[in-house]
Amino acid sequence: MIQALSFPFVQRALAAGLLVGVVASLLGVFVVLRRSAFFGDAIAHASLAGVALGILAGIPPLLPAAGVGLGIGLGLNSVEKKSRLGVDTILGFVLPFFMAIGLILLAFAPGFQPELMSYLFGSILAVGSESLWIIGLIALVVVPVLLALRRRLVFATFDPDGARVSGIRVDALLTLYHVLLALAVIASLKVVGIILVNALLVVPAASAKLLARSLKQMFLLAPAIGVASVLAGLVVSYRLDLPSGPAIAVVSGLGFLAAWAAAARRSGK
Amino acid sequence: MNPALSVRNLTVRYEQQERAVIEDVSLELDEGQIGILIGPNGSGKSTLVKAILGLIPSRGEVRVFGEPFGRPGGRIGYVAQKLPFDPTLPLTTREAIRMALPGRADADTEEVFRHSVEILSVVAYLDRPLGALSGGQLKRAMIARALVTKPRLILLDEPEAGIDVEGEETLYQLLEHLVEHERLTVLICSHELELAARYANRVFCLNKRLICSGTPKQVLTAETLAGLYGVVPAEYHIAYAAPHRAEPEGHDR
Repeated sequence: MIQALSFPFVQRALAAGLLVGVVASLLGVFVVLRRSAFFGDAIAHASLAGVALGILAGIPPLLPAAGVGLGIGLGLNSVEKKSRLGVDTILGFVLPFFMAIGLILLAFAPGFQPELMSYLFGSILAVGSESLWIIGLIALVVVPVLLALRRRLVFATFDPDGARVSGIRVDALLTLYHVLLALAVIASLKVVGIILVNALLVVPAASAKLLARSLKQMFLLAPAIGVASVLAGLVVSYRLDLPSGPAIAVVSGLGFLAAWAAAARRSGK
Repeated sequence: MNPALSVRNLTVRYEQQERAVIEDVSLELDEGQIGILIGPNGSGKSTLVKAILGLIPSRGEVRVFGEPFGRPGGRIGYVAQKLPFDPTLPLTTREAIRMALPGRADADTEEVFRHSVEILSVVAYLDRPLGALSGGQLKRAMIARALVTKPRLILLDEPEAGIDVEGEETLYQLLEHLVEHERLTVLICSHELELAARYANRVFCLNKRLICSGTPKQVLTAETLAGLYGVVPAEYHIAYAAPHRAEPEGHDR
């Protein structure tokens, strides 16, 4: 395993895994607090339209996928207000609509598309330098902005009316949060894939919620669990010659079960 | 001197509804007073509070200490009727209060935080999960949270909800203390006529429109309450027996 660290593709996989582990699970804390796990799934599936466009146009698929994700993130709040439909209902439209566009576009791509499979199920070992740059750029934007806005975002999440009264522009803040979330989902695509994105977005934060006794602990535990899931998943994938995305998702899920057992033991249930 | 809160011709009408939820409400509350808004269920008390705070669209004018109150921001504290938190979340009382601190954490904001938690006596359970607090402790924590924004006016929507009788008394004593020692002005929505009789400087009767306003002695009469509620509420007899605040002014309307 140590020897494998000398290979550039393993180094890129580790860098991508660490970045995504931190970005996705930090935002995942808000996903769990806001009970909006469907958001990550919907953005990931809808991003297939961008991935397909990238494959057809011969450009890095993460770029148009990010465009689709950003568009949805920017528009969601405004559509919710104007249509008076719930966010889940709007995402229920977004997911099949954009995914279907992606599937139709892919029908025009000739032959088998191995790159498509890596976006569907993740292939961290196939992360190229272009994708790593995009993931790094996303991490560079998401993490500082999220940390700077953390207290206001927590306030707006727990008590939107109280936050409005204290002068916080809640709608603008939630739009920004949706944009950051969309970016985190896009960054996760190469690591765990469209289908398994919640393994990094929701599961580490949910495990952290079970173990934490305060919000501060939850914010510290979630990225630690996210990074540990990616690293352990990579080791399992390398040792047992398993696909990396599902290996990370299974390790993340086992971590959740362990956290659940620990929380149950602590509360005596 | 400008009143702490001045509401002029405030009307709230939801789309697709013929009748206004509240219509043409005007009221004034002077600085350093406790105003209590009473009225039957569905009379629009919570709607009026939310309209004053700018949380729902309304027509009319709201002035706070003489200045037009267009967008919320700092001068008004708000304590909602229901706990806005999921009690299963790992959120400590300290975190729930601190999230409302404006700006960066510095010596001044730390001092405001310390003073707010001390005056509300929540220091002892700052590190306990919010979900483990009693109704009274929770309400005190929420008032402390409103105080850290350094408001001069606080609006509370049925603060006695979820608290036992003893807790209600303690809470209203605390609010009275805040008015006297922190130079606050307080407007409360309440169903508790007895507490209104004992703690209010001014009582406002709302049933879609402002039916009457004045001192507790002027407003809490069998005739007025029968007009407001349709019948004389059983609490009236308790309220009537309770000592009213001395207030020399006459009816506003």
